[in-house]
Amino acid sequence: MSSPSSAPGRSSRALAITLTLGAASAILYLLLFLFADRLNELAAATRDGEKLYALIPLAVAMVFSFVHGAFTGHFWDLLGLRAKK
Amino acid sequence: MENIQFIDLNLVSVLILFVVGFVGGMVSGFIGSGGAFVLTPAMMSMGVPGMVAVASNMAHKFPKALVGAHKRNKYGQVDIKLGLVMGLFAEFGVLFGKHIMVGIKESFGAAGTNLYVSFVFVVVLAIVGGMVLRDAIRERRGERIGTQSAGPSKLVQRVRRIIIPGTMVHLKSVDARVSFLVIAPLGFATGLLAATIAVGGFIGVPAMMYILGLPAIMASATELVVAFVMGLGGSLFYALEGYVDIRLSMIILAGSLFGIQIGAIGTTYVKDHVVKFVMAAIMLLVLVSRFFYIPGYLSELGSIPALAPATIGWLDGIGQAALVFALLFGGVMILQALYQGIREHRAATLLAPAPQVIPVAAVAGGPQLSPLGRFERFLVASDGSDFSAAAVREAIGLARRCGAEVHLMSLIATGVEYEAMGTSILKQEIAIAQAHLDEIRGQAVAAGVRCETHLIQGSNVHQEICDLAEQLNVDLIVMGRRGRRGLARMMLGHATAQVIGLAHCSVLVVPRAAHIEARRLLLATDGSRFAEAAAITAGSLARACGAPMTVLSVTTESHGPERRALAEQVVARVLAHLRGEGIAADGQVLQGEPSECVIGLAREREVDLIVTGSHGRTGLERALLGSTSERILNATPCAVLVTKAG
Repeated sequence: MSSPSSAPGRSSRALAITLTLGAASAILYLLLFLFADRLNELAAATRDGEKLYALIPLAVAMVFSFVHGAFTGHFWDLLGLRAKK
Repeated sequence: MENIQFIDLNLVSVLILFVVGFVGGMVSGFIGSGGAFVLTPAMMSMGVPGMVAVASNMAHKFPKALVGAHKRNKYGQVDIKLGLVMGLFAEFGVLFGKHIMVGIKESFGAAGTNLYVSFVFVVVLAIVGGMVLRDAIRERRGERIGTQSAGPSKLVQRVRRIIIPGTMVHLKSVDARVSFLVIAPLGFATGLLAATIAVGGFIGVPAMMYILGLPAIMASATELVVAFVMGLGGSLFYALEGYVDIRLSMIILAGSLFGIQIGAIGTTYVKDHVVKFVMAAIMLLVLVSRFFYIPGYLSELGSIPALAPATIGWLDGIGQAALVFALLFGGVMILQALYQGIREHRAATLLAPAPQVIPVAAVAGGPQLSPLGRFERFLVASDGSDFSAAAVREAIGLARRCGAEVHLMSLIATGVEYEAMGTSILKQEIAIAQAHLDEIRGQAVAAGVRCETHLIQGSNVHQEICDLAEQLNVDLIVMGRRGRRGLARMMLGHATAQVIGLAHCSVLVVPRAAHIEARRLLLATDGSRFAEAAAITAGSLARACGAPMTVLSVTTESHGPERRALAEQVVARVLAHLRGEGIAADGQVLQGEPSECVIGLAREREVDLIVTGSHGRTGLERALLGSTSERILNATPCAVLVTKAG
């Protein structure tokens, strides 16, 4: 028999990781909505010649993708939606 | 120049974008192609200018491509050099494509770029959708669609005969030299299409397969490098012009990352031709949708007699309805396929006879109840590389000596990289992995070792290995060791190190050149309970192999005489235990850096297996502190058995 303590321990750890990533993702999206107008202004400023601002959307894309990607991966796994083996 | 206006976001538009992203992601995961061919038109239907839609779609794709490329590179599926060369030329294509877009926009306004994007969509979707539909019909009839012939096709051979001195590049994926002047136009065309409709894979993957001769798996994996390079460059080019609406990108991303996994998992439950029918249907519906917008754009540009606003409204309405239908159709078909597949799978699993308890192989002295020092069931993880070949070889050898049975597992990676990995490619990969497992099982059976194979799909290598080890209740996990060391290894999250941290059983790490011939075992002990457990395990193994053993304890310069005396006592106690078990053993206490002393003595005494205990730390603590076991693992050329206290 496998260790009886391992499965609950692992699932609570998986839940903690998913909740942490979910919270991080939620905070990022909250910030996105709070600063939505500012982001539009930055895009407009880039069009007007402030070319350094172009890096901001790229950095935002990277951060959101890694955090939210990790969250969704854990989310479906936690719900038991897994590929057929 | 007409000003670009980003759309206003309100609750309804955010929800629509999220749902569009979700369905688009689901379609991407299901059909294994960039969902931008759904997302770009959907955004345009919401009033987003074509150029902003393309730019914003590129911005959320390149990070996903990076993650996917990194994951699949770990399985040796990526030809990085080809990806970078193609990506470089794709960058020129993107730049050229963006210039065309900006030029059209400056000359004809947003209606001009909308018409251009829509026209390219209609043409590309007609060609690709038609081909996919033809394949689906042929597959349904049971005809075989040959994509992988026994050798390179005539076109591939002709391409490889083109030798232009000074331009030849060796491609490891096909083990051939190809002129980069051949790769350049392929990359350029991929980039041009990506900059126009944000889907470059429609050209990149088939070009690598049919012109350069890459296997489908490597072509789709290498495309991720191309997608990253050109996606990053393309997003930057568009961002410099202020065309990336990052709000839209991120909302689409939020939905699409949820959807990709559902779509990807869905493919594992349905037949190939179903996936292709869904793909063709969605492509053709999107084509119809875009088609109905074209008269409106032409009218706006004055290329045809002006249409009445009511007529344009009607045409746009039909276009929107067709797109909504395409999204709903795709979403419903995929969810239904997934639901039905899971239900059938569960029913089949319930009907299947209960799994038999795997009988324990006959061991001299009968089965042992304590897991400490038990060697009755091994799990070997193999990815088909040279690194894991050594692990497989030594696991079979050790199993023969111990009378153990071997469970052999291979993992097919899943996750966001599914977006560029069609179901047929995935099934090819599964077939290759199963053939590889079957071949090894043949070798094991020929060596008189009972062997079972397990093909697992998952995104987390170390977790899947540990889960299977728990499920099978194995005594030992055998793994290869990659060549990465130091910071790179730590940052990349080496699967072997993670398995050692997570597994409840012992882990045998076999470097590529290691051979366990049972010449001599070396037990490194520090007197902790982890080391005591290692002593029992090492003793059991030495007895099974008939090998002599050296016991070593190391003190450092900062340790006083008391600590050295303690080390002498520890070694004496372990030696007494081993000799009591009938094992020829000698002991040493050395002073110095522990891992260096262990590795040095192993070399000096021609040891072929080092046994050490693990404190089982993972994460930040392990990364910061570093353990002697890990330093030994990274530096020694011989196999290392890391035991767990249980």
